[in-house]
Amino acid sequence: MTSTTRRVENGQPGTGPAGHDHPLSRSARMNEWIDGHARQLFIMPAVIMILIFSIFPLVASLIIAFSRIRLKAGGYQVRFVGFQNFSKQIFGSEQFHFLGTFTTLSILGWVVGLAASGSIAWWMYRYVRQQFSIVGFIGRLITAFVGLALAWMFAATFFSGNQFGTLGVTLFYVFVGCGLQFLIGLGLAFLCSQPIRGRNAFRVMFFIPMMITPIGVGYIFRMLADTTKGPFAPVWQWVGLGDFTWATDPWAARIFIIVGDSWQWIPFIFIILLAAFENIPRDYVEAGEVDGASNWQIFKEISWPQVMPVAVTVMLIRVIEGFKIVDLPNIMTSGGPGIATESMSLHSLFAWRSLDLGQSAAIAYLLLFVTVVICVSFFNLVVVNRMRQS
Amino acid sequence: MTDIPKHYQPTFFQRLFEPPTIGKMAVGTKVVVYTLLLIWSAFVLFPIYWLFITSFKTAADVNGGPYYLPFIDFMPSLHAWHELFIIDYEDTLRAYFNSIVISLAATGLAVLIGSMAAYALARVKYQPNLVTILLFILTMIGVLVAIGSYGVDWWLVTAVAVAVFFFLMKAISSRYQILLHNGDILFWMISQRILAPIVVVVPIYMMFQSVRLLDTHIAIILTYTVVNLPIVIWLMYDFFSSIPKDLEESAQLDGATMIMTFREVVLPLSRAGLAATTLLVMILCWNEYLLALFLSTAKAQTMPILVAAMNAGERGILWWSMSVVIIVMIIPVVFLAMVLQRYISKGVLLGAVKG
Amino acid sequence: MKLGFKSLLAGVAAAAVLGTAGQSFAGEFDGVTVNILTRPGPVIAKPLVDHGKVFTEMTGAEIRVNEVPFAEIFQKLLTDWATGTNSIDVGVFASGWAVELVDGDLVENLDPYIAKDDKIDIDDIAPYFREYNQKIGGSTYLITVDGDFQMMYYRRDILDKLGLTPPRDWPEYLKVAEAMHGMDLNGDGEADYGSCIFKKRNAQSYFAIGSMAAGFSQTKGTGEGLWFDPETMKPKINNAAWAEAFRVYKETGKYGPPEELNHDIGDTRSLVQAGRCGMVIDWGDIGPLSIDESGAAIKDKIGAVIMPGSRKVLNPASGELEMCTDALCPHAVDGVNHAPFAAFGGWAGAINKKSDAKVKAAAYAFLSYVNQAEQSNVDVTMGWTGYNPYRNSQLNDTTKWVEAGFSQEFADNYLGAIKESLNHPNMASDVRIPGAQQYTGVVLDRELARFLADEITAEQALANIEAGWEEITEDFGRDTQAQMYKLSLGITN
Repeated sequence: MTSTTRRVENGQPGTGPAGHDHPLSRSARMNEWIDGHARQLFIMPAVIMILIFSIFPLVASLIIAFSRIRLKAGGYQVRFVGFQNFSKQIFGSEQFHFLGTFTTLSILGWVVGLAASGSIAWWMYRYVRQQFSIVGFIGRLITAFVGLALAWMFAATFFSGNQFGTLGVTLFYVFVGCGLQFLIGLGLAFLCSQPIRGRNAFRVMFFIPMMITPIGVGYIFRMLADTTKGPFAPVWQWVGLGDFTWATDPWAARIFIIVGDSWQWIPFIFIILLAAFENIPRDYVEAGEVDGASNWQIFKEISWPQVMPVAVTVMLIRVIEGFKIVDLPNIMTSGGPGIATESMSLHSLFAWRSLDLGQSAAIAYLLLFVTVVICVSFFNLVVVNRMRQS
Repeated sequence: MTDIPKHYQPTFFQRLFEPPTIGKMAVGTKVVVYTLLLIWSAFVLFPIYWLFITSFKTAADVNGGPYYLPFIDFMPSLHAWHELFIIDYEDTLRAYFNSIVISLAATGLAVLIGSMAAYALARVKYQPNLVTILLFILTMIGVLVAIGSYGVDWWLVTAVAVAVFFFLMKAISSRYQILLHNGDILFWMISQRILAPIVVVVPIYMMFQSVRLLDTHIAIILTYTVVNLPIVIWLMYDFFSSIPKDLEESAQLDGATMIMTFREVVLPLSRAGLAATTLLVMILCWNEYLLALFLSTAKAQTMPILVAAMNAGERGILWWSMSVVIIVMIIPVVFLAMVLQRYISKGVLLGAVKG
Repeated sequence: MKLGFKSLLAGVAAAAVLGTAGQSFAGEFDGVTVNILTRPGPVIAKPLVDHGKVFTEMTGAEIRVNEVPFAEIFQKLLTDWATGTNSIDVGVFASGWAVELVDGDLVENLDPYIAKDDKIDIDDIAPYFREYNQKIGGSTYLITVDGDFQMMYYRRDILDKLGLTPPRDWPEYLKVAEAMHGMDLNGDGEADYGSCIFKKRNAQSYFAIGSMAAGFSQTKGTGEGLWFDPETMKPKINNAAWAEAFRVYKETGKYGPPEELNHDIGDTRSLVQAGRCGMVIDWGDIGPLSIDESGAAIKDKIGAVIMPGSRKVLNPASGELEMCTDALCPHAVDGVNHAPFAAFGGWAGAINKKSDAKVKAAAYAFLSYVNQAEQSNVDVTMGWTGYNPYRNSQLNDTTKWVEAGFSQEFADNYLGAIKESLNHPNMASDVRIPGAQQYTGVVLDRELARFLADEITAEQALANIEAGWEEITEDFGRDTQAQMYKLSLGITN
């Protein structure tokens, strides 16, 4: 990669002054040079841009994550504190906030934790017995480690009647929220791919929520969900829930945020899956219908295998964006009641606003770690296997 | 299309749900499908409707409890529209103009650069050396530490670092080689999308500050381009991998260069993918908030900042004005979606389907 | 020339230009542009824009007001100044935020400017704002444009009907709230609420709890310090006074709107304006808002009174809440200890130290212009400006208020309550030291929210806050923090 950069730089002086007097030969040489380096020229703009704009900030914020930053006369003062920012989140005074409150494990907690540990151990054992490679083993080790940590975290918090922290909330948004969005998006795309009238109208209509800025969506749903002056206030009164308010109940608040999030993101899943469904050659489906297969069978045996690869890409994109959820909880509840709806991104944002840049970066890196491990594991262990089978 | 065999006698229930002819729907299925679609339409449209009528409400109409129907429940008022487009038209239109310029330019750049890279990754084999890359990152950390902790001038450090890097590369990289593959490059590029924007905001800000580009369109355009490159590369890589190579190969046999092949053969084949990717990236640029907030002060402010600004803090939220801003924000995207929809309906990610 | 020489000797080149700035004459700042950063909106920003236009005509300096969303002002300003971008010359923000900036040596010291300014009439500014709010470490760094502290408002018409008097302490407050809760206060046929106090997380709830705790905790005057022991920086939070305040705060929710946990001050104010609240804790804004068009439901029905205090206060020696005695609460009136809380501190302008001397001079001249009685005494009477009174002349003369639409009776009542609070020797100061945002905006706010959401008990919350604060103090350095805290309380030894 870098050797290429050098070659590009070396190439330039030759084309400059020499070709100046002879425009024709200059452009000809230029073209020749471009053709010769086309393979590099195609990828270099992207590599260079990402290097400048992504790697630099990434490295800079990594340094911030390991330090304390304070204002000092005329600028910042950076003081390295090692892993202090991270350990504060995982073991220290912010533990309840990031991971959750740990007291004693309930019986259910033990059951869940042990069951998860057992199955992860068995899964590792099976892998080692059946096939083995160093890289694969290390990868699975990381997956297993994160899986175990998450399993015990939920065992000690959610399954033991304690509250979980921003990590748990984020995972809830991602798995429940994105899962729900996927199912509904898939269903809608399948319905719209049927021979129906007004398909284009539905397509544009269903796509609209995607076009609204997430901040706007947050405010719209806050307006809609208002139990005193929102449009559903009379409905709440009528079903006798006038005094119940979603904003004061942790689970209701989380679910409302997922509703808003789904409203915005289902269109994304829908539009791409619809295109995938439409790309299935008609004769495949019709052949199935001729054979007397039911709708469900056609979906399962013919459509789904064709759509699956697209679905995986869509879901990966959605999950990556889903881990970063911040605007909706920020605007709808500010993370409340308590810390019940606070996602990791919001946690990081709050730290950032109070000028605690080190904590903020540390949380964002923890989020990066969890996201990468979960997405990569999902892709390598589930998707690749599936694709190999089918 | 085949007719049903004559001897087949369906029950009533079957007649409801079995299609009368292939490629058509039975009455029952039709009812179910349309019902579900209409329910979903209501779910999608009601918030939009509420947004729309709120933009015509006064403070009293909003705070006094839910009013649903204009002219019947409440008298629509144009005050919010008046305020934004007559009184404060300068701010509103400037933000609107900024949003359009920035989104279009960033989308164009991202799609161009991204699809070139995606095509190269799908067709050319690269083998970068991991050792070189690690060296590069280590040098960079050194540079940042020098600037951050010791306050050395950035251009001086950069110059020294470049020299040191090339020296080390000569000395070390040629001897130790851990070769990476296209998949690794792809993963690296895609993974850039994962980090939450909060952490990169300050470094990016400082970067643009050092070249005096803050509060300009260029700064935001470049940032959006990079932020969205991973998505373009990902989607277009899937797409290009699925296009049969035969056409390109025959073009190359005819003496076409890589650039010509890309321009004349590959791009026309990928219109569907390009359209879908463009739309998606456009929407992501159009809606982005945090980065725009930091990279702009006044001149380059975009529409999402205007939306956020309608929360007047201790004076409550100006629901009516906010609704107006959101509504005018939707319009260009709907327009774009309608233009691009011709291509999209031909298939997004056609590639992945076949691959 | 003489003036300029003196200032140069003092090492403040900027003041030289300012030597003549006090006496503004047309064209003085021709070609100078002053960039101001503040929140969006008519509130706070609009008066700056309007005065800016007049100021341009007077002096030739162009005033450009840049607006960013409220939540992001401080980060934005800090990034701009600390990285040396310096595209902003003046920040108009909460005065408490300035401590951090002054600590980073980013803000211009305004003492030399004020010394040369014969129009600002600094002695007319109420003592609290002049001595505490505008000053950091003994020097003036800020020019107030809005004076903030909290008071209690009640529906006079309803209390009269019920034959009750405005509460003086929190048990009375709860009793009155209970009496009013469920009544129809605005005649729309729906049951309304006895008490409205914003409780949303990450909004303003930590200001309300400060107001409540101050009466229980601070007795010996402003210098005692509500938050920390000024000598050791030990948090004064894990005690019976704060525990009681936490309980009162939660209890008020019983007589509030069901969604109160998700209400910030904006939501509360719109309820108040709709006539749905019997009592409310708020800054000075409610007065002007009640004569606003949208406040028709409460026009001339509102009364204001000093923030309720407490008959029982914390005895630091025993750690218990005890009935007030002369020794225990020297400032008590009729056995009730009041400690009005200067929450937020009010909006104030600070000038970027790195701006050009000429720009700084113009910036100061503009802030002074906005602050001068001639302009501000009109601004504070109008609800939409968001400016609350901070000058004696604004409080002593009701003419401008009556002109703005106040009834004489309400103007007397409202200004009386403000005067009583502002001149109170036991006024409680906000946290004005580096890390203030972390102490209150993050740790206190979060634990309070968890307590309100029934996640933890008051005792757990207070213990967590104490631990969290100690951590922050250690982080910033205990000695320097203690020093800063003392300075913020006006203790100079």
